[in-house]
Amino acid sequence: MIEIRNLSKWYGNFQVLHNINEEIKQGQTVVVCGPSGSGKSTLLRCINGLEPFQEGEVTVDGVSVSDPGTNLYKLRTEIGMVFQRFELYPHMTALQNIILAPMKVRNKSKKEAEAKAMELLHRVGIPEKAHAYPANLSGGQQQRVAIARSLAMGPKIMMFDEPTSALDPEMIKEVLDVMIDLSKGGMTMIVVTHEMGFAREVADEVIFMDEGRIIERGTDISFFKNPKNPRTKEFLDKILL
Amino acid sequence: MGLAYHFDWGVLWRQPYGIWLLKGVWLTVQLGLLSWLIALFLGIFIGTIRISRWRWLRVLGTTYVEIFRNIPFIVQLFFWYFAGPMLFGKTLQFHINAIMGLNYYVAIVGLGLYTASRVAEHIRAGFASIARDQYQAALSTGLTEIQMYRYVIIPYALRIVIPPLTTEFLTIFKNSSIAMTIGVAETTFMSYKIDSDTFHGLEATTGAMVIYLILGLSVVKLMGILESRFRIAGLMGRK
Amino acid sequence: MFDAVIRNLPFLMGGFWVTVKLTAFALLGGIPLGILVGLGRISKKRWVYYPVTFYVNLIRNIPLILVIFWFYFVMPILVGRPMDPFPSAVISFIIFEATYFGEILRAGYQSVSKGQIEAGYSTGLSYIQTTRHILIPIAFRRMLPSMITQSIVTYQDTSLAFVIGLPEFVRRTAIVDNLEVRSIQLFGFVAIMFLITCYISSVVSRRFEVKREGGY
Repeated sequence: MIEIRNLSKWYGNFQVLHNINEEIKQGQTVVVCGPSGSGKSTLLRCINGLEPFQEGEVTVDGVSVSDPGTNLYKLRTEIGMVFQRFELYPHMTALQNIILAPMKVRNKSKKEAEAKAMELLHRVGIPEKAHAYPANLSGGQQQRVAIARSLAMGPKIMMFDEPTSALDPEMIKEVLDVMIDLSKGGMTMIVVTHEMGFAREVADEVIFMDEGRIIERGTDISFFKNPKNPRTKEFLDKILL
Repeated sequence: MGLAYHFDWGVLWRQPYGIWLLKGVWLTVQLGLLSWLIALFLGIFIGTIRISRWRWLRVLGTTYVEIFRNIPFIVQLFFWYFAGPMLFGKTLQFHINAIMGLNYYVAIVGLGLYTASRVAEHIRAGFASIARDQYQAALSTGLTEIQMYRYVIIPYALRIVIPPLTTEFLTIFKNSSIAMTIGVAETTFMSYKIDSDTFHGLEATTGAMVIYLILGLSVVKLMGILESRFRIAGLMGRK
Repeated sequence: MFDAVIRNLPFLMGGFWVTVKLTAFALLGGIPLGILVGLGRISKKRWVYYPVTFYVNLIRNIPLILVIFWFYFVMPILVGRPMDPFPSAVISFIIFEATYFGEILRAGYQSVSKGQIEAGYSTGLSYIQTTRHILIPIAFRRMLPSMITQSIVTYQDTSLAFVIGLPEFVRRTAIVDNLEVRSIQLFGFVAIMFLITCYISSVVSRRFEVKREGGY
């Protein structure tokens, strides 16, 4: 579904991504981890065209991201993204946050969009908060609304950029539960996270990145038990208790 | 398009119009500089009393600022020029009105009073933005209050306050144009006068625009030099 | 004590009404234009950024009176016939105040977190949709106190339309003063009117600063 070939990106003179190669098949859940600054977030943003890249190729479902003829807006409707700081629109209620894109991009009627939105709010577990403003929601609730917002466009792929890093510990589980649910339901997912419990449960592949390169990859069990690369081992030691 | 208008840019330098404009510019400069002096001194004073320990001083300062800020400058100017002399009683009034160039003096004082209220606001904001912890940190190292103000607070406050003061200095030159309404023959007045004579107001006012632009750029340049001087000479740690 | 004022009250208040109308038009045109100007100032496209920046810097450096005069002289040439002072004044104010609103909103746009814009894009919204539904509403609400302050300034600025003979509040007061020469009363009255209206507006605006929905 997603093919990344020889992807390299520079910010000015600084190279943030070095020759990344990866293939993600439909229905797979891939976890990306690594120290900060390793380029994980940048990689995600290259996939949905939020960040341009200088070398290499990224193909999503047959469509090349860097091709000037590609309609990036259309591409983005197929890829949902969840951010570390939730990024809910503060001037809209949870429901309004969710229905904005379906109404404006897919021209759905308000009724249709709201019905779907309520369905999604049920799915993430907080239908009663439909008319609450983000400021009145806890972090965990906001993130779940953010997930519902991305799902509202019916994407084929969901990307998560450290979705639980900004949450208080007691709220992490509620968000991870939603994500595990999604993964088990067959969604193609790329998740940047340090939550190894999550990786152990649903990841089909774990990628370790450092300084813009993929240092090691593995299917979960082998990865955690016997990391081959010393840097991977160092990192895992630090984050696994 | 066929505009039925013939441009005559010569009005800007042909005699006597060129001289008119130059005289006007000279007056603008005078108005700006002199009222700025008043505004600075008065403004710093009022800004400082607004954070003083005594409530009545604070109230005094706030009242001044609110009055002079909320009334448009043109209204203030008219008040001082037309109504002002009357405040002195019948006899003095006639003497005052007989003063040559009264409008010039009224304009300078009026502009100074008005701008002082704005300067005061900036000064107050500058002091307020310095966290109380800074004061306490300085005092806790054993400095007296006066030393604290001299070596820590004031240099710090000046750095914060110079950019908004630069803006006020620019604004004072722009506001000097309002003095034309009481007959002060500054730049804008002159450009209007050229129009009454030649009907080429467009060229005259465009010329005046360029003059104000040059004036503005010079002020910014000047304040920039001042700002860097302050950094180099460094009120802190030189003496 | 205020007999001259009372005698001429209808005439004077007529002028106040003109002032209010002028302010309303200036804001109705100046704020939308300001929204666009602010966008232009953060645009990455050079053919947008440079002209807008030039325009903003030009206007902010010259006195309002001059802008009023300039339009007063220019409009008849463009339109082909002499022009009523009111429309000319309205246009001058719109063009002038838009630069100030534009700079305020520019600061507002720059304060909106990049993540929120990215969130909008990542759901497939276009530039126009993201700008219209996310960037502008958030920035506008955040800068509301400054916008109100600037609106009060606009209200005060309208008194300068005096110079092209617009029969607004201050000019009418001057006209009456010419007849009655009760300057203290008359200009005192104008001053007090402005003082009261502006002070009330600034108090209202401070309320907005405290009581904002949802914490921006």
